[in-house]
Amino acid sequence: MNYTLKTSSSEKSKNKNLSLSIGKLFNLIKTEKRNVFLAFMLTMLNSIITLVVPILISKAIDICIVNKQFNGMFLFIFILMILFLISLISGYFQTIIMGNVGRRILFNLRNEIFNKLQELPLAFFNQNKAGDLISRINNDTDKLNQFFAQAFNQFFEVIVSTVGVGAFMIIVKPKLGLIALLPALLVVIITKLLSEWVKNRNLKSLESLGNMSAEIQESMDNFKVVEVFNRLDYFNKRFNDFNNDNYKASIKSGISNNIFNPIYGLVSNLAQLIVLCYGIFLIIHGQFTVGLLIGFFLYVDRFYAPLRRFASVWSTVQTSLAALERISEILLLKSNLEVIQADTITENSKYIIEFKNVSFRYDVGNSIFENINFSLEKGKTYALVGPTGGGKTTTASLMARLYDPTSGEIILDGKNIKSYTKDERTKRIGFILQEPFLFTGTIKENILYGNEEYLKYSDDDFIKILKDNNLEDLIKDFENGISTKITYNTDNISLGQKQIIAFIRAILRNPEILILDEATANIDTVTEKLLEDIINKLPKTTTKVIIAHRLNTIENADQIFFVNSGITLAGNMKEAVNMLMSKERKS
Amino acid sequence: MKISKKQNLNIFGLIKLYVPLVAPLIILTILSNGLNLFIPKIISKSIDSYGVGGFNVLNIVIEFSTVSIGVFVLGYLQSILQTYVSEKVAKDLRTKLIEKISKKEYSFIQKISSSKILTNLTADVDSVKIFISQAISSMVSSVFLIFGVGIILFLMDWKLALSIIGVVPITITIFFLIFGKIKRLFKKAQEAIDWLNKVINESILGSAIIRLLNGQQQEYLKFLEANKEAKDIGLSIVKLFASLIPFMGFMVNIATLVILVFGGHFVVLGHMSIGDFSAFNNYLLILIFPVVMLGFISNMIAQAGASYSRICEILDSEDILQWGAKEFDFSDNIELNNISLRIDNKEILKNISFKINKNSKTAIIGPTAAGKTQLFYLLSGLIRPTGGEIRYDGISVYDYNKASFYKQIGFVFQDSIIFNITVRENIAFSNNINEQDLYKAIDTAELKDFIDSLENKLDTVITERGSNLSGGQKQRITLARALAINPKILFLDDFTARIDNKTEQKILENIKKNYPNITLISITQKISPIKDYDQIILLMEGDILMIGKHEDLLAKSSEYVQIYNSQKSINNYELHS
Repeated sequence: MNYTLKTSSSEKSKNKNLSLSIGKLFNLIKTEKRNVFLAFMLTMLNSIITLVVPILISKAIDICIVNKQFNGMFLFIFILMILFLISLISGYFQTIIMGNVGRRILFNLRNEIFNKLQELPLAFFNQNKAGDLISRINNDTDKLNQFFAQAFNQFFEVIVSTVGVGAFMIIVKPKLGLIALLPALLVVIITKLLSEWVKNRNLKSLESLGNMSAEIQESMDNFKVVEVFNRLDYFNKRFNDFNNDNYKASIKSGISNNIFNPIYGLVSNLAQLIVLCYGIFLIIHGQFTVGLLIGFFLYVDRFYAPLRRFASVWSTVQTSLAALERISEILLLKSNLEVIQADTITENSKYIIEFKNVSFRYDVGNSIFENINFSLEKGKTYALVGPTGGGKTTTASLMARLYDPTSGEIILDGKNIKSYTKDERTKRIGFILQEPFLFTGTIKENILYGNEEYLKYSDDDFIKILKDNNLEDLIKDFENGISTKITYNTDNISLGQKQIIAFIRAILRNPEILILDEATANIDTVTEKLLEDIINKLPKTTTKVIIAHRLNTIENADQIFFVNSGITLAGNMKEAVNMLMSKERKS
Repeated sequence: MKISKKQNLNIFGLIKLYVPLVAPLIILTILSNGLNLFIPKIISKSIDSYGVGGFNVLNIVIEFSTVSIGVFVLGYLQSILQTYVSEKVAKDLRTKLIEKISKKEYSFIQKISSSKILTNLTADVDSVKIFISQAISSMVSSVFLIFGVGIILFLMDWKLALSIIGVVPITITIFFLIFGKIKRLFKKAQEAIDWLNKVINESILGSAIIRLLNGQQQEYLKFLEANKEAKDIGLSIVKLFASLIPFMGFMVNIATLVILVFGGHFVVLGHMSIGDFSAFNNYLLILIFPVVMLGFISNMIAQAGASYSRICEILDSEDILQWGAKEFDFSDNIELNNISLRIDNKEILKNISFKINKNSKTAIIGPTAAGKTQLFYLLSGLIRPTGGEIRYDGISVYDYNKASFYKQIGFVFQDSIIFNITVRENIAFSNNINEQDLYKAIDTAELKDFIDSLENKLDTVITERGSNLSGGQKQRITLARALAINPKILFLDDFTARIDNKTEQKILENIKKNYPNITLISITQKISPIKDYDQIILLMEGDILMIGKHEDLLAKSSEYVQIYNSQKSINNYELHS
């Protein structure tokens, strides 16, 4: 499966229609049906009050002021006051309900995307840029939030008031009413014609924002190289290019977003012109009065004014649809690492790992292996040696099912590795990565990451556990011991220290197979000896797979494999060294 | 100084910088709004003209269409201009931010974290942009209408006008009370976004280990916590707005009642004509929209204000980076005199002194966390010592012209940093690398075969974080990058950690052959390649234990012997091969 997300819309398929995307938008509010209904009712109530108040006021004027019966005024004032209070309260609740609905939808949507990110396999992250992903999760969902927070409310008001006023106009004077509403049809057609275009322009602008975020993320993380190679100009130039792209795309989307408002205004004026001419025509023929015509203008205004407000809402809708499209792209991806039923199960297998006719290639890139076969016995120590780029890390990644082989089978303890659940699999495999990664938090939190068994222990108990596993010496150099704080992308601890923490993390999980992928490359050789002793004290059943360039780390291996676009068994250390020294690098 | 800073923090201060663009925008807004007022006039005129029998359809249609199209054109021009202004402001702000950041030292970036910078450059700039594009013209037209109508009302009947305007101070007070709270909340909201960014960021960068440790649930819980915070802040904001906006509508309604009671009373007493009374009512209707609008705009102003002050925190921070103007031409030595370094109250390096001569080879060896990499950062000028001075040719690093300093020194960092650009651009990363130097660097780093195996050779684009390369390939590319500038000094930090012995040996020989006069400073774990070095500095817990040649150290330093013994077996194999 190709996990590369689109970052430019040129490759985009244009077969999506509007109602489908609106359907998607409304799918999100499914769970909020009751609240939305409540808010809708409150909007109705508010609209009715807004329609009733002018009638009451004109009655009050007619009865109390024109006829000078001022005493009756207080009844009107009383009624109006109650209506205003109702409107205040219902307005409050309507805003709060809809605002909360928007916030909750945003909350759920962010959770859903993040959850999806956690489900997706490693290949997804290798194929997409961190900055772009962050932009999708944050900026794009925020665009949706704007829709729910601002536009959604108005959506209802507009629908309620236009339908109400429209019906009223047709009832009062059917012919004139229909003619006055005719331009509204034009609005519908124009909106429909423009919407796709507007949405696409918004999509492009969001994409350029995503690209810019990716660039910022990369430059910030690589800042020290930019600095010492004195390429701040490069940094500035790259950024300015992306900034300019974003600027252009945003101007385009802004201009297209703003087209609705003037068009709606023009159409509304057209409606007034029609009413004016046709109205006067009717008056000439004695079918209408001047008073009614003036009244009718008010209705035309009441009908088209909210529609104009709808225009600005509509561009928000288009932006959020574009955002939703980018988000859906992630949500639609499926992990290709499914758990399947095992065909054959070998009980008490002698081997912990078997590769059977395994071929592998990355989704983007050259083939790494063709048809490799080998097996690792339980409790033994294996070493993988070979030139850089020969495929050692890839072999190890396949053992841990970070990827699935393109063809062939990998057997973990007698069962296809694909038949294990995530839980079962990760419990059995300890993998210390070439590039250690630590999360923001304390050293203890990092060591216990993903380790439910020890999570409950207090600091003292935890130190005792470290002691029992001979790991205590390793953390004595940290300023505040296991409570030392770590921030993920700072240099407050060294690469070697990170490797030590990663080492402790893996050992404490008591894995059946422990893979060390150059796990000690940046650790001094004295400490490395210490680590070696710890490894040697692991239970006899633990299989160890060691990838290293430093030959001393692998001299005690039971078997050495030479990996170079394939895998060969090297008889002993000397043979392995010879192979390493003589064979040509294939990469 | 202080005053100018305050102005800078105010979002309206930002507008001042764009007067030539904002002024036409305001004029266009007023024009298109003003022109719109002609339409009721045309309608009333035509109805009147019908009354006197002079109704001319064609004239009316022409007049009406002209004004409508005029409004349309002005309106669209206004919106184009407002898009242009807001995007320009956004672009300029980003450029300013980046310029500022690029003047910062490495430690600054580390401190404020890349996730915050990302929010500053995207979400924060965005809310300022929304403010400019939507708030200015709405505000102008709202204020214009409120004042205009206010003046008209006063001219008509000042007593009644006063009683209506009486509601204004109440509105304003409540408005500002809520507004202050909202602004704080918006700032917190943006901080929550920083937090979200950080969690997302870590979950992306740590995606491999998360999958290996089955930590997905744990990541999700972290995200949930941040997201919940964002939601809670969002809900508090909604609550405040839910009270603000309906309240403003309510105040307008109260004004209606005031007119009805007092105005009605005046009419009944004969102090006011019924025509004036209805006009009062109509003008009040005109007032409603701008008042409600102001409520909405206040949302934007609050959000943009919060974001802008976050941006200003960076823009107003002091530049610490000062480099001198002296041309650097390495000719003599590097000297460290009593250098010490403290980070967060932790002593990293204590009174380090040593000297590196031109054309010599120096190794820095020592256990994990001895302070080797920090020493490397000090030598590179990336961070500054808390005590002492590092001198190149007797002159402090920061007295040199930065460009000329970095032009002569090649750096290879421990963490192989690779850019998402082509292999060629990654290697010829510095300016003005000629082809000859490029190929010399590629050959020296033993990259030729690798590059030849790539589909587009040197023009192959490397994925972000070099995820399609092996650890050793990345390290060799970073070496080639450092060599391509033809450096006089080469700094290597644990460079050979991920490179197999055969390649390592070849590379070291290549360096000796292709860059014969290079001054080499190498942080390393392996003793065998540094046996013939001019000096080996043994560093432990921030202290220099000993400086000398391999033989000296072997004879006098037990710690060195311990390291040496731990590597003996390698040496055996390497000797045989």
